[in-house]
Amino acid sequence: MNKTRRITTSRWWNNKNLWFLLIFLFLIVFVRFSKSLIYRDIYYFLSKPFWPGQFQRELLLESYDKELNTKLKQLEKDNLRLRSLLSLKKTTDDLKIDSSVISRNTGSWWRKIILNKGSRNGVTIGDAVVGPGGLIGLIDDVSIFTSSVKLLTSSESQVGAWVQRINIHGLIVGVGNDSPKMIFYSKDIDIKVGDLILSSPASTLLPPNIPIGIIESINQDSRPTTTANVQLLANPQAIDWVQILKTKI
Amino acid sequence: MNFSLIKNNYSLLSFLLIPLLSLWNPIWFSVMGVQPYWPIFWLLPWSILNGPINGLIIGFIIGIILDSINNDIYTQVPGLLICGFWFGKLGTLKYRYQYGLLASLGSLICGLIYFLQLILNNYQKNPDWLFSFGLKNIFGQILLTGLFAPVLSICLYKFFSKNLKKNPF
Repeated sequence: MNKTRRITTSRWWNNKNLWFLLIFLFLIVFVRFSKSLIYRDIYYFLSKPFWPGQFQRELLLESYDKELNTKLKQLEKDNLRLRSLLSLKKTTDDLKIDSSVISRNTGSWWRKIILNKGSRNGVTIGDAVVGPGGLIGLIDDVSIFTSSVKLLTSSESQVGAWVQRINIHGLIVGVGNDSPKMIFYSKDIDIKVGDLILSSPASTLLPPNIPIGIIESINQDSRPTTTANVQLLANPQAIDWVQILKTKI
Repeated sequence: MNFSLIKNNYSLLSFLLIPLLSLWNPIWFSVMGVQPYWPIFWLLPWSILNGPINGLIIGFIIGIILDSINNDIYTQVPGLLICGFWFGKLGTLKYRYQYGLLASLGSLICGLIYFLQLILNNYQKNPDWLFSFGLKNIFGQILLTGLFAPVLSICLYKFFSKNLKKNPF
């Protein structure tokens, strides 16, 4: 029996273009070396609803939240009790007065703003004023319909503050420009540019832990104190609305 | 002493602009946040027309009003007293630029006196910090007050002159 020789030209790969072969090979190589990344990612999304730990994880997180909330409430209670023992200032959410800025003097000798809320709204001298970002100053004068705010940048302004990261207290002193100075009454402290400054919990003028600004630059050469330039978080030049925090002892 | 202070009614009404402008602080008049020294624009023509004694009195009144607005421990009264008296001594000015120069000098006097008080009060704190801020304010005020005075003060001078003719002493 004679074996007939196959005609090689009839094979399919001989009929197709060479490009087809190349693309196919490339795909094969890609699938091999991609280490099934695409499959795994697809599988991730497909299997997500059926993961075994999901429900348990939510339960755990929920219980952890509850635990933290309980701790927070307890700490708040302790904090209020201790602050009242030390006769320090405190605020509550129901003692915030929204007010708009009706006059602004932020660049000259007098760094003040005037607000449209006065003594008839319950504003009193010494109340803290916060804008978007943080503290901007303290009420220094009140009329029936208006109140005047002495800005932190004013050369007459001095407030207690602390760097929470290292638990160091200092004094923020206005020097007339847009960056007040912070004076630390100790040398060799570990302050860094970018540290957040908050109102001091030990202050008798301000409610505790209101954000004030960040350390802009440090002057270690000043003797006997360390001073730092502070970049305020709230810019009084651009603020139209503020909140007056009613403080009580 | 004459009684132009009382007779000059419309002029005194325009006086209300000074505290209003000091409160308003229109931002488009400011350079680097510094405003012109508003009371000089009014005090210069008024003192020129009404003499040194009236200038002294009105300078004192403006100073008291501005001190009450700014409500700080420093006072603007001495500077405005000096300016009111000095401007009153000068008599009529011939040229426009003289208004600008005088307003600038008045602003310099008031600014320096205010700055001196600031330095003295903060002597123990660290007055070095205040120098850059003080100099910026003084030079900013000198520049702006001198720039606008030839327009604003001359307008006010004409207004006061007309008013004086209508209400002679």
